Amino acid sequence: MLRLPLALAALAVTVASPAAAEIARIKQSSGVALIERNTQRLKATAGFQLLPGDKLVTGKDGRMSLTFIDNTRFAVGPNSRVSVSQFQYDRTRQKGSFITRVDRGSLAIVSGRIAKSDRDAMKVRTPNSLLGVRGTKFIVAVPK
Amino acid sequence: MIRAGVAAAAIFLLGGCATSSLVLLPDDEGHQGAVAVLEADGVPADTVIAQGNSRTKLGTRTPVAKPLGPNGLKKQEAALLTGLPPPAKSFLLYFEPGTTTLTPQSATILASLRAEIAARSGPEVEVIGHTDTVGGEQDNDRLSMKRAEEVLAWLASQGFDRSMMSAVGRGERQLMQPTMDNVDSPANRRVEVIVR
Repeated sequence: MLRLPLALAALAVTVASPAAAEIARIKQSSGVALIERNTQRLKATAGFQLLPGDKLVTGKDGRMSLTFIDNTRFAVGPNSRVSVSQFQYDRTRQKGSFITRVDRGSLAIVSGRIAKSDRDAMKVRTPNSLLGVRGTKFIVAVPK
Repeated sequence: MIRAGVAAAAIFLLGGCATSSLVLLPDDEGHQGAVAVLEADGVPADTVIAQGNSRTKLGTRTPVAKPLGPNGLKKQEAALLTGLPPPAKSFLLYFEPGTTTLTPQSATILASLRAEIAARSGPEVEVIGHTDTVGGEQDNDRLSMKRAEEVLAWLASQGFDRSMMSAVGRGERQLMQPTMDNVDSPANRRVEVIVR
């Protein structure tokens, strides 16, 4: 079953690798759920690939969920504005750094490998606090 | 009296609206992690919140965590947790010595791997090939990559789009079972597939 001609397998290598910079993928979304990338506003549909610096924006009926390549999971609530201001991850060494900014709204986080790799390798910033994540599940809410 | 009451209510409202908050929960396996407050209103701080099922108002250097109490989570908070994606799931497939042929037992896992990917919305699949320490390092880098590619090609043949998948080979550099060089090890001849 798993015996393919080598030529075909070799072809798979070149096609298989997705854009190197992918950091997360949208799993589900509903209502108004957008990704702001530079000056673009893109629809956050299932399978959408995120890049460092992307902003997650939802309207009053909007939601979205996503999983990062280090296994961190996010759920973004309505009326939210969340930026992934820094995301670096070495898949081989399973280390990195991760800074998320919650400008408004609500965000549930289950931390992944980056938070485990070094103390405060994962941080979350709100308008009045900077948090260091030490391996856990939590919700940050920033009312308007 | 009445005036004082109104003033107090106004302050409460202001405080309630402007202050961000943290709800800390045990993870899905029941472990309790912590969140440290490193900075409050621009001033460095060093308070660790480690009490599970607690709510904390942020913005002060020494915030106090309070138990969620009998009312538990607010409706919006519960909805947020329900919306979290499922955790990543990892599969291990083992190979016959020096080949890209799956062991008979591992071949039976392919169906559940396929079902796991099919059940997920917006899936991402990471395929990581490994070898044991028999043979040279460069040969093993190539063999581990070929093993990963074979699994990826099989998944593609099952209808999964290649854009959701990636394959890497790590040769004999990440042994599951540490051994000396040139040791035949069924546990090390493997491909790990992480489904997110």
